[in-house]
Amino acid sequence: MAVAAKPAVHEGARPRNVFTRHDHHGDAVLDADVVIVGSGAGGATMAAELAEAGFDVIVLEEGSYYQTRDFTADTSAMSRQLYRDGGATAALGNPPILYQEGRTVGGSTVINGGMSWRTPDKVLARWDRELGLAGIARDLEPYFERVERRIHVAPMDPEAIGTDNLLLKKGADAMGWKVIGNLRNQVHCVGSNRCAFGCPTGAKQSALVSYVPRALHYGARIYADVRVDQITRHGKRATGVIGTVQGTGHRITVRAKLVVAACGAIHTPALLVRSGFRSPSGQLGHNLSMHPNVKVVAIFDQAITGWKGTHQAFQVREFQDEGLLFAAVNLPPAILAMSFSQRGAALGELMADYDRMVTAGMLCEDTATGRVRTIDGKPQAFYQLADADAANLKRGVVLLSELLFAAGARRILLPFHGADDLYSPDDARRLLARDIPTRGWEVVTVHMMGTARMGADRAAAVTDPFGMVHDADRLMVADASLFPTPIGVNPMETIMALSTRCAGHVIDNAGRFLS
Amino acid sequence: MAAAYQHSNTARAVLRSLVPVICPPEAIPLGDAIVAHMALTLAAGPSALSRGFAVGLVAYDLGALPRHLRRARALTGERAERYYEGWLHGPTVLHRQLARGINQLMSLSCYEQPEMMERVGYVPAPWIAEVTQRRLTVFRDDVRRQDAQILAPDPLRPGVRIKRERA
Repeated sequence: MAVAAKPAVHEGARPRNVFTRHDHHGDAVLDADVVIVGSGAGGATMAAELAEAGFDVIVLEEGSYYQTRDFTADTSAMSRQLYRDGGATAALGNPPILYQEGRTVGGSTVINGGMSWRTPDKVLARWDRELGLAGIARDLEPYFERVERRIHVAPMDPEAIGTDNLLLKKGADAMGWKVIGNLRNQVHCVGSNRCAFGCPTGAKQSALVSYVPRALHYGARIYADVRVDQITRHGKRATGVIGTVQGTGHRITVRAKLVVAACGAIHTPALLVRSGFRSPSGQLGHNLSMHPNVKVVAIFDQAITGWKGTHQAFQVREFQDEGLLFAAVNLPPAILAMSFSQRGAALGELMADYDRMVTAGMLCEDTATGRVRTIDGKPQAFYQLADADAANLKRGVVLLSELLFAAGARRILLPFHGADDLYSPDDARRLLARDIPTRGWEVVTVHMMGTARMGADRAAAVTDPFGMVHDADRLMVADASLFPTPIGVNPMETIMALSTRCAGHVIDNAGRFLS
Repeated sequence: MAAAYQHSNTARAVLRSLVPVICPPEAIPLGDAIVAHMALTLAAGPSALSRGFAVGLVAYDLGALPRHLRRARALTGERAERYYEGWLHGPTVLHRQLARGINQLMSLSCYEQPEMMERVGYVPAPWIAEVTQRRLTVFRDDVRRQDAQILAPDPLRPGVRIKRERA
């Protein structure tokens, strides 16, 4: 009988240098070379690189510390534990856009789908050409390679691909559209299809099981359950942070020679603003991109059992140049039921088809930008879907519906409140001519970007090309806030590569930062 | 720290009365559990949302008085259906949003009940256990290799290591 491997990295007792709310019995003052706010794709990567280089690193994370063994099939409990506000945060606009952020050690990498794509060449070319990031494509290349090695970016094992994804591919093939296997940060994903609720098998190489243990191994300390209230400062120089332990109210002060804000594109600008930092560019909190997503639900005659098989095994790339990507994304019944307008017996009849449903979604590279305002110290996102993006999303719904009918779907439910279901490709095409008010659209996202964008010109960018905040000292940003534009693909790998590059800048200038 | 959301008596009674309106008939015996689950979900969400929801439920409850001469929580059958429909297609965005919000939240909590998940064939725990064990057995060497890779030295900058005394 084969012997199972005992996971060495992500199981077992809590590491000695991870501290939680239970470890605090009073206020505390800590010293470090670098304090990093946030432990997701940006923060954990930065922590690991700097700790290995010998910096004394403290990471503060608002969420709690969970391990792979804590990730169960209880969708609701996982949502409450791993998501900010249980996943119920919204950007205000018409329609409001529901967005999700991880709030746990490992950040949103714990709850994302694990898609690992480099920044597209056309995006990097634009950053180079228009935004003063000369040579960024060449510069990022080794960092992408390093990140891909660390988080094990690889194609899926074919045997783990579920029926819903195979049907998506079948439909794309039937339409003659370009469809590719997704690259994901995983080691033999076996298709538990629980990516969005914490990978229970340990296959997904989120920051929690890659960069976080690496950072800890090289001496970083992680304080979970600590919400950072503000960055302390002496004039324009950041000198540390002050935070509050969730649940106990104890204060934690960290004095550091470098402060890194890596709490995501919603919370990083709010942290900077409530700490009194301003950008001469006037762009802090502006330039919010969201990659708006909508989904359709297709009902087939055959059993699909979409929850058995890997998440988003394929991406339809036929319309990438037009800013649209399609993928199959199985959702647990509760999440799906929540999105339906049916109720009572009609809801029961619809949900009886759950096993025959394929949920497919699309990502739209948006042209609109929104804003994060800081109100009473808290961030509130405002985002108005552009007419052009709404038209693109509607076209995407039509195209995706055609694909699903080509794969054998008999009925398609739309993300437009009150819209009739579709029963044929002709029904889908007729949608194009219909005016569907956006206020009834169900739009969600998990990709927020751009609110502290980098660039050489301090009049146009919040940070320099290495994340150092213009017009401040010893203050760095290392998350998706840095993106000067939306990138049109899943952002995790870009965040990690940029964070690694920023870490390299700190190491290269260690003498200055440690003085 | 703000206290976590808990249903008021009014909220609980109104939601309990809405279970037969929103949920499939087979879920009606699970009404108490569904309503309790809604409290957990609201407690995890933004406090503004739970506060608004609680106020909205009071308005929903009292709003039935002029026409039905009783609170919404006391309406049953067709009258409860019609009253809910009245809000779903109500005169203001707030009416409509509250009705949709109740539907969304209650549907979520309904299909979070193990009996309802099983009814639609969703039983993920055994599957997770099976594939987890399979992965650790079949791919044991690759899993170990990745675990080792994660901790192996691989400095970002060759030759740079800052030696310092740590307290």
